[in-house]
Amino acid sequence: MTTFLSFVLKETRHILRDTRTVLILFGMPLVMMLLFGFAISNDIQNVRVALVASSADASTQRIVERINASEYFTVTHVVGSPAEAERLMRSRKADMAVVFSQRFASHAHDNTAALQVITDAVEPNTSVQQSSYLQQVVQAGVVGGSSPVNTSLLYNPQMRSAYNFVPGIMGLLLMIICAMMTAVSIVREKERGTMEVLLVSPVSPLMVMAAKAVPYFVLSMLILVCILLLSTFVLDVPVAGSVFWIFFVSLLYILMALSLGLLISVVAQTQLVAILVSAMLLLMPSIMLSGMIYPVESMPSVLQWICQIIPAKWYISAMRKLMIMGLGVGMIWREITVLASITCLLLVVALRKFNNRL
Amino acid sequence: MNAIEVSDVSKSYGSVLALDRVSLSVERGEMMGLIGPDGSGKTTLFRILTTLLLPDSGTATVEGFDTVSQLSRIRRRVGYMPGSFSLYQDLTVEENLKFFATLFHTTVAEGYDNIRAIYSQIEPFRHRRAGALSGGMKQKLALSCALVHRPTVLFLDEPTTGVDPVSRRELFDMLMPLREQGVTILVSTPYLEEVRRCDRVAFLSRGSILGTGTPDYILSRFASVFCPEPLSHDEDEALRKADNVIEVSHLVKAFGTFHAVDDISFSVHRGEIFGFLGANGAGKTTAMRCLTGLSSPTSGNGRVAGFDICTQSEQIKRHIGYMSQRFSLYQDLTVRENIRLFAGIYGMRGKVVGEKTDRLLESLQFTSHADTLVSSLPLGWKQKLAFSVSIFHEPEVVFLDEPTGGVDPATRRQFWQLIYDASSRGITVFVTTHYMDEADYCDRVSIMVDGKISALGSPEELKRRFQQPDMDSLFTYLARQAVRT
Amino acid sequence: MGTLRHLLVKEVLQIRRNSFLPRLILAFPVMIMCVMPWVMDMEVDNVNIVVVDNDHSQLSRRLVERVASNPHFRFRGVLPGYADALSYVERDKADVILEIPLHYEKDFSLGKVPRVLVAANAVNGTKGSLGSSYASQIVSQNLVSAGHSPVAAAQGVTLSTLNLFNPHLSYKRFMIPALMSILIMMMCGFLPALNIVGEKEAGTIEQVNVTPVSKFAFIFAKLIPYWCIGLFVLTVCLLLSWLIYGIMPSGSVWLVYMLSVLLALVFSGLGLVVSNHSDTMQQAIFVMWFFVVCMMLLSGLFTPISSMPPLAQSLTRAIPVRYYIDAMRTVFLRGGTFSDILPSTLALFLFALILDVWAVISYRKRG
Repeated sequence: MTTFLSFVLKETRHILRDTRTVLILFGMPLVMMLLFGFAISNDIQNVRVALVASSADASTQRIVERINASEYFTVTHVVGSPAEAERLMRSRKADMAVVFSQRFASHAHDNTAALQVITDAVEPNTSVQQSSYLQQVVQAGVVGGSSPVNTSLLYNPQMRSAYNFVPGIMGLLLMIICAMMTAVSIVREKERGTMEVLLVSPVSPLMVMAAKAVPYFVLSMLILVCILLLSTFVLDVPVAGSVFWIFFVSLLYILMALSLGLLISVVAQTQLVAILVSAMLLLMPSIMLSGMIYPVESMPSVLQWICQIIPAKWYISAMRKLMIMGLGVGMIWREITVLASITCLLLVVALRKFNNRL
Repeated sequence: MNAIEVSDVSKSYGSVLALDRVSLSVERGEMMGLIGPDGSGKTTLFRILTTLLLPDSGTATVEGFDTVSQLSRIRRRVGYMPGSFSLYQDLTVEENLKFFATLFHTTVAEGYDNIRAIYSQIEPFRHRRAGALSGGMKQKLALSCALVHRPTVLFLDEPTTGVDPVSRRELFDMLMPLREQGVTILVSTPYLEEVRRCDRVAFLSRGSILGTGTPDYILSRFASVFCPEPLSHDEDEALRKADNVIEVSHLVKAFGTFHAVDDISFSVHRGEIFGFLGANGAGKTTAMRCLTGLSSPTSGNGRVAGFDICTQSEQIKRHIGYMSQRFSLYQDLTVRENIRLFAGIYGMRGKVVGEKTDRLLESLQFTSHADTLVSSLPLGWKQKLAFSVSIFHEPEVVFLDEPTGGVDPATRRQFWQLIYDASSRGITVFVTTHYMDEADYCDRVSIMVDGKISALGSPEELKRRFQQPDMDSLFTYLARQAVRT
Repeated sequence: MGTLRHLLVKEVLQIRRNSFLPRLILAFPVMIMCVMPWVMDMEVDNVNIVVVDNDHSQLSRRLVERVASNPHFRFRGVLPGYADALSYVERDKADVILEIPLHYEKDFSLGKVPRVLVAANAVNGTKGSLGSSYASQIVSQNLVSAGHSPVAAAQGVTLSTLNLFNPHLSYKRFMIPALMSILIMMMCGFLPALNIVGEKEAGTIEQVNVTPVSKFAFIFAKLIPYWCIGLFVLTVCLLLSWLIYGIMPSGSVWLVYMLSVLLALVFSGLGLVVSNHSDTMQQAIFVMWFFVVCMMLLSGLFTPISSMPPLAQSLTRAIPVRYYIDAMRTVFLRGGTFSDILPSTLALFLFALILDVWAVISYRKRG
């Protein structure tokens, strides 16, 4: 037991004395949470509209006022022809254009008055949303009546992107810290030659590995708590579900990441290889294929299959259900099963591959 | 029963045969030296004995336990200090020792008697990080760590490479009492004076043991490798013009309040071989970095090849060559490509380079290896090549920072032949070394202690002045006066 | 000049001898171009929808039919009650619920505007809001076609939408310029930085520092091969995007190259600054990765800059990638000309200048 503790102590000292890395470890969650929470959003706002109107009659004026009054749009330019509007959009001075047909007001009653919305479709989703919002604004203006639809946005009434990203950040950071850092710290001992002495000592190599994992385990728990606190108090993303189960699933995920790190350290001989392998096999898939940013269901089916074996995907999905949607544990048994079986598989492979010689 | 018994052990990595049917036995309480050139299989043998590697064939036992099947029993009884062992640089001295004590299920207090002689020397610095210790201290700490659990068999793989003579001697002094306590020691070393202190010596070459016996027997039987004819160096006074190529006065280099180089002054004549000696941490490398323009001095001034070291470092670089201890050329380029690269850097013309390269390769007998990658050459060859490259552009001075670390005496002799050739062509050689026999090869030497030069003169003259029989004892005499660490 | 040539030969040989780099240089762009556009597809075209029909009238049935046949939705069936529908959402089987109230048709025929409930799972904001606005459109259309009603009094105004620059609303067109920036960042930022830190760790940089090689020659010899690789990779990307996706730059190809060269200058400057200030590869990679992630997030690569709060928007002005992405999209998709991207080009140029000067200054031949 004392041996184990002294190992843990030693490992903790290694971590704490590398100030730059500790700074990055704690700075990264902070900066990422703040960026995702405040800077990154898909909300439609500050859309610059160029009007193409040949006459300034009353009904045109009314629509323009409507557009200006909405929280999404600002009319910044009034030009004479669609071509001019397009030029404005090309040079990024306007985001969309609204074209009123010739003598708009006088045609209002013979069904030939027309409005055309020209969007900058470079970013498809944004442009669809912009045009649909604009249509709603204009229609409300024309009709003057109420909307035929009562929209309710479940779980995320203010449509904040942070709700979507917080579980993703958790999945990503826990993976980096547990898997990558553990792997690198074991491989570093190989590279520096201290591993030879550890192996020659009577201590079981498995205990060496376990002791190495403990500080990183604690560290990831700390970072997990940091993220949860940040998300509750700074980003106003409430933890809707049970905290116990959130920690339980995170624990499972951390264990999985640790065994992945162990596996990488068995395979890699140099720190550089360990870093590259972690980046290629852990980071990229965890960002790209986990549904953190890009929805899995929009991918072609081959990629969707690959996504099924990405642990981060299951973790993030479980966290979304637990944290954001506030569902009970009954809804995530699938995620738990998958994570648990991946963990077992990785642990078994890592232990079998583990060599107590060089 | 012998403490170590190796019979018919072979080991190969891919197609390379590292050990070829090696047999060896070491008695209990014996100190056995393992010597042989770089790449002869010493480290592989150590790793097999410490159960880190499995032999392809043959058996090995340590204390009667088989290295293949009884590894946990062996691991409880041995101490091992690998050549690459570098402690945990970011832990303090005390933390390192405590950690290794618990690793072997013991405490520092329990094992203290065992390591008192060694550890008491580094104990004053127990709160310093291991990374900030000098080379000699690091090795002492590493030895303490390997000894703290009172092993009965001790494996030391080149424990003294890169360590200055004084610390080396102290380290071996510490091993002697262990032997009396019945600890079996297997040690490899490139230094002859250490070989002589072993009970018996095994000479390993290209994976096979060529001979085992007392040090004197082995050293005389393989005299061509270990005791080559001393070099004769006729002083050609005609070349020795009176002008100074290096002139330094009151040079100081300080890091914060620590004066690594503390007010040194000396000069080196053209064509001279100048030995720049000193213990680990005495400030040699720092001083050399100032002279080569790698760092700027805090105060004082100096001229190298006629240029000021404070203001004209780029001009200096045009007229010097440099070979450092870590560096031996770009490993992923071939011999010819390396030569062409450095010749090109110094602005030599393509045609001249081609002819000169051929001549050089021929004189080094490298012609057939011209297109071999440097990484696949043996260490001794790399060093010879690196030296030839550093003087390829005919510099006025060449700086050599421990150029011959870790190679056998015969190869070192060949290396020094190259140095003499260069010197006879008028190239000034400025060299640091930890081999005291090499100090004797120099025209003049200086010995640095605590950042200051405490002796300067020809080897003969210094021995006379300090009344010491040889360079080794002279060095020890002076270095023992050091107060700072 | 001769020195530079010899150093260049050395760098090229070293890259070629490396067992990993040549493969990376060939495989990476191919992988990125072949896989990433599919992964980075944010198109919302298969929103799962369930309907709760409390009215069971002709009007409500027609609405259900419209929903079921709409290409944006994947129709998951009609459920008896809202609670059932909600459990579908909880189990990830539905994204949007459309609940038609009782007396829907009756209210409509009485001239009121009856309101259906559209509830969307908004954890994924884009999907939620797009799903709900698609649903609202269908509801309106249904009412309009149902005959003369207050809503149909769009009163003669026909509304149409014209999607400029990207008529098929393809996400791949949107992502390809962004992918190019990622590639250039890898090839011209990360690789040279690792290369220099590698020489530091191996100690060979010291050997070069005692030679008369000027720091310009040394740095340029390091960078030029990677710039060439960057341009080569860019060309491969352009070819692949044409071959696989049939996507060609709408504007001048030369502008694409010019912008990419500027970005390469920016990133190699950044890489050098980082490598000059770090001692180990691990440090260099971590620091570099940190900067790059922040830059990417703030560059408008993933989410539009106009959606950011004002503070973050002003922060993006300090992010060089932002100008690249902006200008690239203008040239590549909007068919912009040099005058359209002049401000962005100037900004990029300025960043490149600052970073490169800083890189050269911070590279020290003497300690």
